[in-house]
Amino acid sequence: MRMNETEKELIDMVLSGRTEAFEPLVTPYRGRLLALATRLTRNREEALEVAQEALLRAFRSLGRFDASRSFRNWLFQIAANEARDRYRKKWREQAAFKDAVDRVPAAADPEAGHDRRELRAAIMNSLAALGPREREVFVLRDLEELDIRETSRVLGCSAISVRVNLSTARRKLRDAIRRDLPHLEEKR
Amino acid sequence: MTCRKVRKLMPLFAGDDLRPGLAHAVRAHIDGCPVCRAELEGFRAALAEVKSAAKAEGVPEWGEGEWKALMARVASEARGTGSAPARAGAHAFVPRWAAASAVGAVIGLAILSVLFRGPSPRPEGTPAESGLVIASENPRQDRVSITMVSPETGLQVVWFLDKNFDYKGEQE
Repeated sequence: MRMNETEKELIDMVLSGRTEAFEPLVTPYRGRLLALATRLTRNREEALEVAQEALLRAFRSLGRFDASRSFRNWLFQIAANEARDRYRKKWREQAAFKDAVDRVPAAADPEAGHDRRELRAAIMNSLAALGPREREVFVLRDLEELDIRETSRVLGCSAISVRVNLSTARRKLRDAIRRDLPHLEEKR
Repeated sequence: MTCRKVRKLMPLFAGDDLRPGLAHAVRAHIDGCPVCRAELEGFRAALAEVKSAAKAEGVPEWGEGEWKALMARVASEARGTGSAPARAGAHAFVPRWAAASAVGAVIGLAILSVLFRGPSPRPEGTPAESGLVIASENPRQDRVSITMVSPETGLQVVWFLDKNFDYKGEQE
């Protein structure tokens, strides 16, 4: 996805001192940026902080943006880096992921009559079983629907690394659903 | 292609992320193997469940107040610095490997400059403080010895090199 002319003009305006052009530049992506941050962090408050920090960083670094790249993917890259930094910081503080793992429900009981919302939450919480890189790759490729090359650019890694992590992520999710939500498999 | 190999490739095949040649081979196997076909259906169903749950879950919206506050912060940051973000050259982005290479080169130069400097002014018999010691006292620097000391075990290994940095032996 290449940058369009309007984006180029808006970037030029910001860089020439008309900083009010930054808002129309990023507004088209604000929803998707927050969605990405939410899927990476699994926490609304943290996601908001990640998205805000990503946009501030984007503003500060706009002069270094390479116009031959996709502006959306550049924003995604900044947000993914920010989410990863926060995850590492949390991990160092020994709080890594414990909350998320604790939130994963025990094996679902089909007789308990999960309603659709609970089921959805259970499926999405299975993302907590993924390592940080696996989750980034899965979210970008399967939920944000970037292709392998775009995903590798956003994450600053090789296409091979994306494929390896994507394969592991899908396998883990399939196993988690099979283990924790067996009635979904039986329904098939 | 064997079932084992196909199972390995299944997660990528399920999401159409295999290269065309491999995908063709996997497809040919699956067409004739009901067990692998069932496995593929399992993968695709699980993926579809996660995608549909993600779509249905929705994502939080920015509160208008949050958005306005953020944009005000951007504006005040620009006012604070008195300028817009500076434009860099088109290729100002330096990849991490380039930065790491530069750091490596600087460290390498520092080591070489230490190795080729004159005799150390340190008085004889003064114990070294770091784990890496350039122990040559010969002003012509025909031989160089590098002493490595393990801080955990106290084990010392001395490497001897000639002036061309060819390895000439070691001593524990």
